[in-house]
Amino acid sequence: MSRILVVDDESSIRLLYSHELADEGHEVTTAATAAEAAEKLQKDDFDLILLDIKLKNESGLDLLQKIVKERHNLPVVLCTAFSCYKDDFSAWLADGYVVKSSDLQELKDEIKRVLEKKAARNTPKLMG
Amino acid sequence: MQTECCWTKEVITPDQCRNISTNEMDLLSSLERRFLAKCIECPLFVGDQERLTKEGNPTAPLLRILIAEINRKNSKLNTLVGFLDSRNLEIQFLHEIVSVLQTSLELDEVLSVALTAITSGKGFGMNRAFLLLTDKDRTILQGYMGVGPRNYQEAWEIWAEVNRDDLSLREMARHFHETKFSEEKTKFHDILEHLTFPMSDEGHILIRSLNERRAILISDAFHHPDVEAHLAHTLGVDTFLILPLISRNRRIGVILADNFITHKPITQQDLHSMETLTFPVAFAIERASLYERLNEDLHKLTVANAKLHEQQELIVRMEKMALLGKITSSIAHSIRNPLTVIGGFARSLLKNIAENDPKKEPLENIVQKSKQLEDVLSEVLGYADSVFPAMDEWDVNQLLENIYQEVQKKTEGAGISVTLDLASQLPMTYLDYRQISYCIKRIIANSIKAMTPPGEIHLGTKVEDDEIVIEIRDTVQPPEREAHEAFLNSGRSELDEACDMELSFCRVILENYSKSFTVERCAGKGRRYLLHFSLKKEDSDHE
Repeated sequence: MSRILVVDDESSIRLLYSHELADEGHEVTTAATAAEAAEKLQKDDFDLILLDIKLKNESGLDLLQKIVKERHNLPVVLCTAFSCYKDDFSAWLADGYVVKSSDLQELKDEIKRVLEKKAARNTPKLMG
Repeated sequence: MQTECCWTKEVITPDQCRNISTNEMDLLSSLERRFLAKCIECPLFVGDQERLTKEGNPTAPLLRILIAEINRKNSKLNTLVGFLDSRNLEIQFLHEIVSVLQTSLELDEVLSVALTAITSGKGFGMNRAFLLLTDKDRTILQGYMGVGPRNYQEAWEIWAEVNRDDLSLREMARHFHETKFSEEKTKFHDILEHLTFPMSDEGHILIRSLNERRAILISDAFHHPDVEAHLAHTLGVDTFLILPLISRNRRIGVILADNFITHKPITQQDLHSMETLTFPVAFAIERASLYERLNEDLHKLTVANAKLHEQQELIVRMEKMALLGKITSSIAHSIRNPLTVIGGFARSLLKNIAENDPKKEPLENIVQKSKQLEDVLSEVLGYADSVFPAMDEWDVNQLLENIYQEVQKKTEGAGISVTLDLASQLPMTYLDYRQISYCIKRIIANSIKAMTPPGEIHLGTKVEDDEIVIEIRDTVQPPEREAHEAFLNSGRSELDEACDMELSFCRVILENYSKSFTVERCAGKGRRYLLHFSLKKEDSDHE
C-alpha cells in the first residue's frame, strides 16, 4: 500500500481519484490548494503526489519546484487537463505526466510505474 | 534684220511662237518673261544669233555672253532647287519619324521605327542596320538587333514586297513591329554575338564615336587603321556608318549602317542626314527604356502591395485565430474536468455492477459518450495549442541545442557545417518555445536554401546588458540590401513568394515575442540574425 497525496482544486476530481486509487489499494489524502498540500506534506509522509497544474489562482508547477527542492526523493505525477505543458521544461521536473481522462487506467499505470521506479531506487543493490 | 524668233516683239499672237502652250498665254504679252522662259532655248533664236554674228552685228558677242551667263545661273538655280527639294523631303521624313517616335513608348516599337527609317527606300535606303545598346551600368556596348536582308535573294523579296505594298514609313514600321520584329531579332544572332565591346576600351572606334559624340563614315574598313579587323570581318563590308546614340549626355548605344547588298557608296551627305536622326532616336530609346523600367517597378510595387495586403490579412487572421485558440482552450479545459469526473464515476460504478443490473446499459452509455467527447476535446485542444501563444520560462540553451541537433541531421552530407556555442549558466527566459523555435528553424532553412556548399551555420547564445541574445550566423552572401529586405520589406523578387511570406511571419512573431530582432550583413561573411530576450520576466510580459 502506498500513501498518495492528491492535489486538485476540483472537489469532484479529488473524490474520483480518492475512490479509484483507494480501490487500487492506496491510502489517499487530498488537498485543494498548494498551501493545504504543503501543510499536509509537513504533517505526514507520502510515497507519491498526484498534482494538478492549474490550481485556483496558483500554479502547480510552482509547487512542483518547491517539492523537488525540499523533498527530492518524493515522486510527483502531474495530472492536468492540458497536454501542452508536456513540452514545458518546468514540467520535466515531475516523474510522470498524465492528461486527465475518464479512463483512469493510464493514470493508474503511471502511478504504478513511478512507484516501482522509486522502490527500485530505494532498494540497496546486492553485490554480485 | 528680220528675225525668225519672236524675241524682238513686245507682244505676239499664239501662232507666232509654237513653244508657248495654251496655259502659258500670259507670256504672249511679256517679252522679258517670254525671252527667259522660251526664246533662250528656242532653235529659231539660236538661228537669229548665228545670223547676227555672220552679219557682224556688234551686239552678237555681247548677246552670246549674256545668254551663257543666264544658262549658267539657271543651271545653278536648278541644282539649288533640287538640293532644297531633297532637304525638304528629308525634313518631311524626319518630321514623320519624330512624330512616330513621339507616340511610341514601347522599346521594340521605337527600334522598329528607327531601323525601318534607316533601311527603307522611303527613308535613308541603307541595306542593313545594326543596333548596339549599352547596358544599365554603361560598362558594355552590346549588339541588340539587326535589320535588313542577309543575301541577294532575300533583298529582292523584301524590295518587291515594299514596292507592291507602297506603305508609309509609319505603316512600314508598324508592319515590321507586328510581323517581323521577333524574327529579325534572331536573324542576325551570329553577327550580334560578336558585337560586344567594353566601354572602357576608349580606343575602339565605336566607343570613340560615342565618347566624341560624332558620327563616323568608315571607308576601306579592312585596311582602316582605326577599325579592328574583327569588326570589319564581322560586318563583312568595307564601308559603313557609325552613328552614336546620345541622349542628355547619356550614352545609349550605336547604330551601324551599311550597303551590304548593293555596295552603293555612302557619302558624307548620307552621314549628315542620318546624324540628324540619331538624337530623336536616342531620346526615344531612353524614354522607352525608362518607361519599361517604370512599368517593371510599377508591377513590382503592385505585387508588393498585394502581398502586403495579403500578409496584413493573414496577420489579422492569425491574431483572431490566436484569440479563438485561447478561448477554445479555456472552454475545453472547463469541459475536461467535469467530463473526467462523469466518465470516471460511471466507469467506477460499472466495475461493481451485476451483469443483469438495469443500470448497466445506461452507465455503459455514459462511459462511451464521455470517451467520445474526450476524443473531440483532445482534437480541439491540440488545435488550440498550435495557434495560441504559450509564454513560459524556458532554457534558451536547451531550445538552441534541440534545434542544433535537428539541423545537424538535416544537413548531414550536404556540405554545410553547423556549429553551436552556448553561454554557460544561462538563466531561464520567458518566451514562447514553439513560436521561437519555429522562427529560428525557418531562418536556418532559408539560409540553407540560399547557400551554395560549402557553407556554415553558427548558432550561439550570450548574455549582454541584462539580455539573453540568440545569434544565428550564415555564410550566405546576400546581394545589396537583401538581408534586410527579406525581413523588413515585402515585394522581394529574389526569394520565392512562399518563403518570403514565411519570413515575414517570422519577423512579426520574433518582433512580438522578443525584446528586439535585428538582421545584419557582415561584409564578406554572410548574414547575422540577433534575437534579444529580457532577463526580467516583467519586461518580457510586455513583449
